[in-house]
Amino acid sequence: MSGYTEGILILLCINAIAAMGVSLLTGFTGIFSLGHAAYMALGAYTTAILTVQHGVHWLPAILLGGVVAVAVAYFIGVPTLKLMGDYYAIASIGLGEAIRLILENWQSVTRGARGYPGIDPYTTLPVALAFFVVLAVFMFNIINSRFGRACKACRDDYIASSLLGFHTARIRVLSLMISAFYCGVSGALLGGFLSFIQPVMFDMLKSTELTAVVVFGGLGSMSGSLLGTAVITLVTELFRPISQYRMLIYGAVLVVIMVLRPEGIMGNREFVSWVKAPFRRRA
Amino acid sequence: MSAFFELSGVTKNFGGVQAVSNMTFSLEKGELAGLMGPNGAGKTTVFNLVTGVYDPDEGSILFKGDNLVPLKTYQVTARGVARTFQNLRLFQRSTVLENVMTAAQHHVPYSFIEGITHLGRWRSGEKAIRDKSMALLERVGLADRAEQAAGTLPYGHQRRLEIARALALDPELLLLDEPAAGMNAEEVTSLNVLIREIHRDFSLTTLVIEHHMDLVMEICPHIICMNFGAKIAEGTPEEIQNHPEVLKAYLGEEEDE
Amino acid sequence: MATLIQQVINGLSLGSVYALIAVGYSLVYSILLFSNFAHGGFLVIGGYICYGTLRTFGTGIWMSGALALAGAGLAAVLTERLAYRPIRERTNVTLYLLIASMGMSIVIENIFVIVAGGRFRALPPVIPTAPVNLMGLATTSAFDLLSLVSAVVFLGALQLFLSKTRWGLAIRAAAYDLRTAGLMGVNVNLLISIVFFVAGALAAVGGIFLSVRYTLYPQLGAITIKAFVAAVIGGLGSLPGAVVGSLILGLAEMLTAGFISSQMRDLVVFSMLVITLLVKPTGLFGKSVSEKV
Repeated sequence: MSGYTEGILILLCINAIAAMGVSLLTGFTGIFSLGHAAYMALGAYTTAILTVQHGVHWLPAILLGGVVAVAVAYFIGVPTLKLMGDYYAIASIGLGEAIRLILENWQSVTRGARGYPGIDPYTTLPVALAFFVVLAVFMFNIINSRFGRACKACRDDYIASSLLGFHTARIRVLSLMISAFYCGVSGALLGGFLSFIQPVMFDMLKSTELTAVVVFGGLGSMSGSLLGTAVITLVTELFRPISQYRMLIYGAVLVVIMVLRPEGIMGNREFVSWVKAPFRRRA
Repeated sequence: MSAFFELSGVTKNFGGVQAVSNMTFSLEKGELAGLMGPNGAGKTTVFNLVTGVYDPDEGSILFKGDNLVPLKTYQVTARGVARTFQNLRLFQRSTVLENVMTAAQHHVPYSFIEGITHLGRWRSGEKAIRDKSMALLERVGLADRAEQAAGTLPYGHQRRLEIARALALDPELLLLDEPAAGMNAEEVTSLNVLIREIHRDFSLTTLVIEHHMDLVMEICPHIICMNFGAKIAEGTPEEIQNHPEVLKAYLGEEEDE
Repeated sequence: MATLIQQVINGLSLGSVYALIAVGYSLVYSILLFSNFAHGGFLVIGGYICYGTLRTFGTGIWMSGALALAGAGLAAVLTERLAYRPIRERTNVTLYLLIASMGMSIVIENIFVIVAGGRFRALPPVIPTAPVNLMGLATTSAFDLLSLVSAVVFLGALQLFLSKTRWGLAIRAAAYDLRTAGLMGVNVNLLISIVFFVAGALAAVGGIFLSVRYTLYPQLGAITIKAFVAAVIGGLGSLPGAVVGSLILGLAEMLTAGFISSQMRDLVVFSMLVITLLVKPTGLFGKSVSEKV
């Protein structure tokens, strides 16, 4: 396998992990975020600082990166997600900007806007793949369990869910925390893949892309999100030279999908049920 | 000794308009009662006050001796109060079975970790939730439509599905909000049978909102009638039928039907 | 002391520009209950129309300004027609509107990146920026005073429109409950178009002043983040809240820049957002939103 192919595969795993996190939040719980790159940044910087400055082994460091993202998500989520309205969406933009500002200005710890070099290249293909597989299994299990049904209920009807006995605020916060963990781990893996991280890598554009991936794949379809990741990661690689048109097309496609087919490519179905459908006996 | 379910002096204003005023009534355990009144009388607001969607301005709502007023909606549900909605609130995109399973899962515990790993009690737990839900669908006659998206069901079936979903919460008090709305005569008849059967078989205390007088009269031995947010009469169907206030409230409304 | 007065005037001036943007955003929010992330795009459109007409046709600031307002207003109406109306007519899922508005924001920004290029452009000197001495107490620029005065004029006009005209009253009724307004015989689609036109035109005023203050570039719309924050501080969906929140934010920014460090400006803004969300998430004038069952 060439280094280039290997690099793309690692990147696919990293992007897919973040996409699953955003998919749970936006596709399954119906919460819009414009700041999920901030959780990636938290994971990436925590892991980088722990491994480079404190000599922590990369495996616990990556997990701790995820935990820090979860802690911040809790702090932001509790006051905003108990309210109806777009409070979390706005707070998420604020979070993204605040994290960027802190990373750029807290020179002594984060080394500022010029970036954090010299991270151990711990994200090899087997490591990325292992993280992806384990987290994907967990994620698919989550959506096929009590909690997954609770998320969908909150997404589809906030009032009915609370009258069916769900503590909706708690479910929304929990969904955000899981989603932040996935993004934190994804960011940590990205740091180990590039050996270098920079605040600008986790800007609003990155957050937008995370949401776009989930929308392309279909809100409410986890396998769709994975497909969306594959398509967008590859398209990004192919169209690198004409990136300004790429953004224009991104935006236009987002609008068109929302207008014509908000359920996306997969439309809240999963691959498995789609493949099985013709063979299933009617119950 | 307080009643099983009791409203006393419940009042709710919306921007100066009294939606419910000084509402007082009580139900004994096992009663099948009707809450009737013309459109806009404040019947649904009573349900919203009981289930915690709104907080009353005054008064208390006692259920099994506990005051429901300070509780949040999900806490009221956890105490054993379930309801349906006048303008259906099903999870349209989910299947019929998933709708019921969403409600049925509360009483089948497995931990979050077991959910993530699909180990331990996950398998047996999910099976129990599914079996219970299928049994309820069977009960309301929707078992053959379990895999269909709820939003694609005919209207009458959606009402039955809401009842199945409410039953999945294992309630002691069931509040049905205009379960017959939009149904034809034939569907109403079979719905009446269903309501009476589930009331008996699940040993429920049931309160049905209905604005059609004859329907309430047929199934409910105990009727509360309200108009303009206040109770105007209470009693047996015979008493209600001849009550002058009730006749006045319904005058003109029932004539053209 | 002089510095303090000067920074307060600067802060109010900046805050009043935020207010123009935040009020339009809040107006849309109060009617459709979703956060229109494309709002910053309207501001950029206004800025470029003003710049373009000044440069190519040599029109005066009044003419160019009027064209910018009309153009941005129409762009806002068009955005609503193309991207939001089909969605809101089919479903009441605001998530779809949020995503569509994010898409529109990307589209508008990148149209300007491609057509006008990413360069920073300075507006021709049509708005005086000479220093003005305020009765010996402090020195400030004519620009700051002018933007403050213009904002007051436009906000006053909006207030008059909302309180004295038939459509203004209908808009206020719709902010209370859109469906009821529709039942009362108001043409809801026309009403929403008017709201978007007003929001777009106000954003354009803000855009022109911001282009003078910071120069014009396609990503200038990102500054609406400040207006969103101001709207949350004041209470989402509340117009007085949007104005007060904007003034507070402008003051906080300028006082931080003047007395602490201008690098800390944005950090102060976002700390205020976090504090608001933790202490009183519904903001200064906000009412908690509850849905009818």
